[in-house]
Amino acid sequence: MTNQSQPQKFIVPIGPQHPALKEPGHFEFGVDGEIVTSATIRLGFVHRGIEKATEDRTWVQNLYLLERICGICSNIHGTVYAIGVEKLAGVEIPPRAKYIRTIVAELERVHSHLLWLGVAAHEGGFDTLFMYSWRDRETVMDLLEGLSGNRVNYSTNLIGGVKFDINEKQADEIRRGLDFLEERTHYYMKVVTTDETFLGRTRDIGTMTREQAELLGAVGPTARASGVPRDVRSESPYLAYNEHPIQLQVHDGGDLLARFIVRLNELFDTYRLIRELLDHMPAGDLTVRVPRRIPEGEVLIRGEAPRGELVYYLKSSGSDKPDRIKVRTPSLCNWGTISHVAVGHKLADMPMLLVGIDPCFSCNDRLVTVNNTQNSQDLTWDALRRYGIEYYK
Amino acid sequence: MNNIFPLIALLIFPGGLFLMASGLVYEWVDRKLIARYQNRVGPRWFQPLADVVKLLAKEEIIPTGVSRGLFVALPVIGMAGALTAALYVPIAGFAPSFSFAGDLVVTLYLLSMMTLCLGLAGANTTDRFSLIGATRTLTQLFSYEAPFLLALLGPAIVAGTWNIAEINNFAGQNIWLVVTQLMGFLVALVGLLGKLEMPPFDAPEAETEIVSGALTEYSGRGLALFRLGKDVELVVGLTLVASFYLGGIANPLEFLLKTLGLLIVMAGMQSLFARLRIDQTVGLWWRIGALLALVQLLVLIVVRVLR
Repeated sequence: MTNQSQPQKFIVPIGPQHPALKEPGHFEFGVDGEIVTSATIRLGFVHRGIEKATEDRTWVQNLYLLERICGICSNIHGTVYAIGVEKLAGVEIPPRAKYIRTIVAELERVHSHLLWLGVAAHEGGFDTLFMYSWRDRETVMDLLEGLSGNRVNYSTNLIGGVKFDINEKQADEIRRGLDFLEERTHYYMKVVTTDETFLGRTRDIGTMTREQAELLGAVGPTARASGVPRDVRSESPYLAYNEHPIQLQVHDGGDLLARFIVRLNELFDTYRLIRELLDHMPAGDLTVRVPRRIPEGEVLIRGEAPRGELVYYLKSSGSDKPDRIKVRTPSLCNWGTISHVAVGHKLADMPMLLVGIDPCFSCNDRLVTVNNTQNSQDLTWDALRRYGIEYYK
Repeated sequence: MNNIFPLIALLIFPGGLFLMASGLVYEWVDRKLIARYQNRVGPRWFQPLADVVKLLAKEEIIPTGVSRGLFVALPVIGMAGALTAALYVPIAGFAPSFSFAGDLVVTLYLLSMMTLCLGLAGANTTDRFSLIGATRTLTQLFSYEAPFLLALLGPAIVAGTWNIAEINNFAGQNIWLVVTQLMGFLVALVGLLGKLEMPPFDAPEAETEIVSGALTEYSGRGLALFRLGKDVELVVGLTLVASFYLGGIANPLEFLLKTLGLLIVMAGMQSLFARLRIDQTVGLWWRIGALLALVQLLVLIVVRVLR
């Protein structure tokens, strides 16, 4: 992903190891003084071979593996995968399980957006906001821990339902936590939209028009901040989003400020939605039986992760293991917007611009680079193995 | 025997050991205050000292492609500049150890040595982060230096002298100059933040962009000296501003109260704002800082002429 407007003079490398990056990635910014003249992105430092690994595990075991694709939006991976497998198996989960899945997915969105707010503030050198928002994020982490016993990988899903129930006491705790968070979010909204020094770092920085966003295939809050009304929850509602629709949050600004506003507005909508879901929880079972062997077939399933549209492709050959699982995470769609928008900005804006899409590096490191410049050759399995051993010797 | 007292002044009090110790204490207070403002616990009281001891015990790596002499000498020169500057200001409320007509100008130049050394240290290496950091350090020097100087000239003009000790006495006998010269006080205080590269003026060492700026390649002794030098400069700068604008410093208690009071305000400013980009810093200083200081100077001159 390269975008050059001038011959390079002075290249500032950011990564794979750099204080601004919490995960390894490599960015090369060509600069002329402080102005960025070119931007190159290289990914793939945390390729873990998860897709291949799924083919050796059963459908149930994969649930645990896939939840570990991302450390921040772990739950949505398990949820989307479970929905896909249930669709292949042709089972319908009980309504109460649907509601619980939705509530946990939305709580995860709260935690992810608050985390992003802190990280973005830190990249802009506003550490006070960083510390405050992460302190308040503990509230939602505690709620999730109270529900599932875990702070990060909640393990909500089973194939055919969910693992835990939400009783009235827990529901009240969630309501109280949300009241507190809503008050804090109002405060952050005020800080982000009125603090002059912070506005100086976000207003009119990294502006992406609606045409550009559509052309580059941006997804999630990044696209919505450019005025693209795109959200899987409202485009093709799944789980409980049919009965309780979301209010789509769109902003026409396209700059970093718009991304802050869209994500914070989404938080308000999420609080409303969780309260509504808690008030209307249907009674009933949590699980249904699903056969161990999933019938032959393939399915493409989408879900809205905190960062945008998450796509799973599942293919079954009728055994207890999947034939192929392909994952496309939202960060991958948004990378292209950075190299496109970066040119012409100041070097100091780059960290915020990078964080503006809420990137998740290890999520999308599932790529294979096809080298077209050298003569390609077919290798047998043994030859490939020998090549691998030689390469890493 | 004649040489004993100047030696004590240089090595133990108020220069040398005392200054370094107080610098470390003030750094701790600064860090602790910011941490409390940000809802963190903050470091323990000996953390700055522990950092320095640890750094001194570590190997100093001299990267390839640098001028070795310069690389080793620059931290020493910067530190020496900051320590020497302390001899002309009323540290701890005692009369300055050395004093002559016009020592204000010398002190200001000595304080700028540190920044110049930082810039040179960055430009000396071939590291790209250091080079950008050095450019930013020097750009920032050019933006805050003139307003800062003008802001400290205000009290000097009112007092009718360029001698720090005399200005200090004058400030102690008259109404606090912060009341009559509020603009100058603000410019001086914010100028101190810029001088010490503290947030929101920490673009020269913005860790999320250029790692550690000009100091990226420094380790061990050099890094320890630069950090100590900055701590010393913090104490000297606080003393200077407090003695000029907050009614002078006549005894150790006043020194403690006034400098710590200033530090509380500075820590607040450090945690209130997002980091300014270097172009925003320059714009802020020349559009607002310099203008404020100039207006203030003009008013002072007019009032003086009319009298």
